[in-house]
Amino acid sequence: MYRPIFLRYLLIGGNKVTAFFKTLIKNKVMLFMVLPGALWFFFFSYMPLVGTIVAFKQYRFTREGFWASIVKSEWVGWDNFKFLFSTNDAYLITRNTLFYNLAFIIIGLVLSVAMAILLSELVGKKLAKVYQTGMFLPYFLSWVIVGYFAFSFLSMDRGMLNQVLGWFGVDAIQWYSEPKYWPYILIFVSLWKSIGYNSVVYLASIMGIDKSLYEAAMIDGASKWQQIKGITIPMLSPIIIIMTLLAVGRIFYADFGLFYQVPRDSGTLYAVTNVIDTYVYRGLKTTGEIGMSTAAGLYQSVVGFALVMISNFVVRKIDKDSALF
Amino acid sequence: MSKKRKSFSLLLVSLMALALVVSACGGNGNSATNNSSAGGNGKGEAPVNLIWYTIGTPQKDVDRVMEEVSKYTQEKINATITMKMVDWGDYQQKMQVNVASGEPMDILFTSAGGFDYVQNARKGAFMELDDLLEQYGKELKDTIDPAFLEGSKVDGHNYGVPANKELPQQEVWRFNKGLVDKYNLDITNVRSLDSIEPLLKTIKENEPTITTFAMDKNYVPYVPYDYVITNLPLAVKLDTTDYKIVNILETPEMKEALSTMRKYYQAGYVAPEAATTGSTSDLMTSGQWFMDRAQTQPSADNLWSASYGYPVVSTQASDAIITNTSVQGSIMAISANSEYPEKAMEFLNLLNTDPVLRNMVDSGIEGVHYKKLDDTHYENLAESKNYDMPSYSLGNNMLLYLNPSDADDKWEQFKQFNAEGVNSPILSFNFDSTKVATQMAAVQNVKEQFWSSLMTGTVDPESYLPKAIEKFKEAGLDQVMAEAQTQLDAWRAENNK
Repeated sequence: MYRPIFLRYLLIGGNKVTAFFKTLIKNKVMLFMVLPGALWFFFFSYMPLVGTIVAFKQYRFTREGFWASIVKSEWVGWDNFKFLFSTNDAYLITRNTLFYNLAFIIIGLVLSVAMAILLSELVGKKLAKVYQTGMFLPYFLSWVIVGYFAFSFLSMDRGMLNQVLGWFGVDAIQWYSEPKYWPYILIFVSLWKSIGYNSVVYLASIMGIDKSLYEAAMIDGASKWQQIKGITIPMLSPIIIIMTLLAVGRIFYADFGLFYQVPRDSGTLYAVTNVIDTYVYRGLKTTGEIGMSTAAGLYQSVVGFALVMISNFVVRKIDKDSALF
Repeated sequence: MSKKRKSFSLLLVSLMALALVVSACGGNGNSATNNSSAGGNGKGEAPVNLIWYTIGTPQKDVDRVMEEVSKYTQEKINATITMKMVDWGDYQQKMQVNVASGEPMDILFTSAGGFDYVQNARKGAFMELDDLLEQYGKELKDTIDPAFLEGSKVDGHNYGVPANKELPQQEVWRFNKGLVDKYNLDITNVRSLDSIEPLLKTIKENEPTITTFAMDKNYVPYVPYDYVITNLPLAVKLDTTDYKIVNILETPEMKEALSTMRKYYQAGYVAPEAATTGSTSDLMTSGQWFMDRAQTQPSADNLWSASYGYPVVSTQASDAIITNTSVQGSIMAISANSEYPEKAMEFLNLLNTDPVLRNMVDSGIEGVHYKKLDDTHYENLAESKNYDMPSYSLGNNMLLYLNPSDADDKWEQFKQFNAEGVNSPILSFNFDSTKVATQMAAVQNVKEQFWSSLMTGTVDPESYLPKAIEKFKEAGLDQVMAEAQTQLDAWRAENNK
């Protein structure tokens, strides 16, 4: 890691300046490669941080532009946060957001690791590539398109699912007004879209496992299952932990497209499809109170940040080397 | 460890400082480009460039037409025009961002429905126009129906120039005339929601593949109330004497309408997915529909028939009522950050009074996009597909040339239609939501949850209506209602109603 060294020189300064530049020159190729990413983070993650101030203001326009408007708007303290907690919706959307994401993380993890192992064990490598590509494809589809895929299955009068049910003499189901099916539908659709991508990540690290380990195990007479249990999964665990930690950090961020496009914004389903992101979007798309949406965003970030810190802390207690930082 | 943390905060501080510097530069850059095209009012000086944001699908030939428009306006008022179009579905959100971030602009479209006029006027997005109208907008004031200027006042001030068009809103039932004739249906006695049932039944029985009663998720059964706040269930009865605001869901009229809708839905007259359908335009294109409800204007049947390519007839479903929504249906405001508000007003004045300019903006370049038939009639040429603009959002409609199929007295009919409209009791009362902003956001969410499925009959009002009412109460609808009532009473006392 170059970052700590870089920072130390920045801080000490003075007579170490030349040393700092020496390090710069020495690592110029690496630093240059980091540059685009660093700039991206600077412009899209650090610069907007200043705007967080809007969460505590009643934003009003002025003639002099955005910054002047921020400075001149009135301070309102925590008022902008109130709407999030003014109904029992706060509980509902927090619960939905957390539980769906938890389900996505756990089921997604199990299935993508399983899929990665299966693919790695396939003998016909050509066929493995075909499967891999097939599973990878949905990841690149926009949620709007996925929403229409789902609709072609779930439409009340023309949907495939209702027609199949019809063959078995089951009455057509109004999918878009029956909340009880939606937790399963949403989890299924989300997994369908994301598993391919995640399993490629795991597959890549399986490929990196030293083949001699397996050879040794086979000589000792280990079965396939024992090899998976004893070699593959333990070797995968660092990447599993990192991927899971990253996912936990975003547990408070719902995938807007999934929860908005796939249920076709159907009001009767809100009890099981409303998450923080869609709630905020709906509440604010008409009122346009920028202060409130910023407040909701800040709330999400703070809780998300706390969750990363906590889970990283827990991981570090258990296994120091696997922690993110 | 502490060293690490210190260095981190140092980094953060320097980043923030840099952020401010960079953004400040950005701001300066904008004003610099504006200044370069700046100039005084006198002739011979460099013309002023006005940036005009308007609603509608961006057209290929906008820049080309605006070049032509600019030649004309430069001669008349020494200003050139740059038009930026933002598509229908994006307008609200994109303008929210553009205005909030101080994007340079001079004139922008606003209305009760898209980029809310009253709320944004209160937030300071628009310039107050009282003096400018007096100084640069005399002809305009004489041309436009005074009810528009009066009805678009917010807290006693004008923040925009409304388009002169149909003033009242009137609901009609529209019918696909081919089917009406085929089954020899009598539509003359149709008016209420109940009265359409026999027609729906006939079509459903004989034409099972056709969508009998077409609607999208924004459909709301007509009840004789005027809504106090767009999109929220607070309303006042049209023949009210005590100006009491009620929850529309608790009125007997709405309850009855909802059970009728439920009946229609169960009978299959309404498409099963109506509550999640964004638009019925594909039905209109294919002609696979029998009837729907729409807002009318004089000779609307002609307009619809021409645009769909098959005959459409309509019959009244309500009285013609002048409401805030109808008065504030299309407004052009001058942005609060405009560098040249005087020029912008001069332009708006010209646009709303000069037929040459108005028609150029509407139909494009003569000989390229349209052909003039005589002094008042025109015909679209093939090129017009590259410049197909919504007329209602671009200023005074009554200056527009007529289609050969239009009645010669079309605009006279409009004037009569406007004169016959009845004022809503709460016309020009505008609710100020600042004090209940928190509740408004929560109430909005509840509305989204229940509204479409109730209104289209997708769910049973027997069980869902009480649930919806309960949820609205929880979200604080009563506080919003009380605040609205207080404001309405004050407004009433002030205006001697």
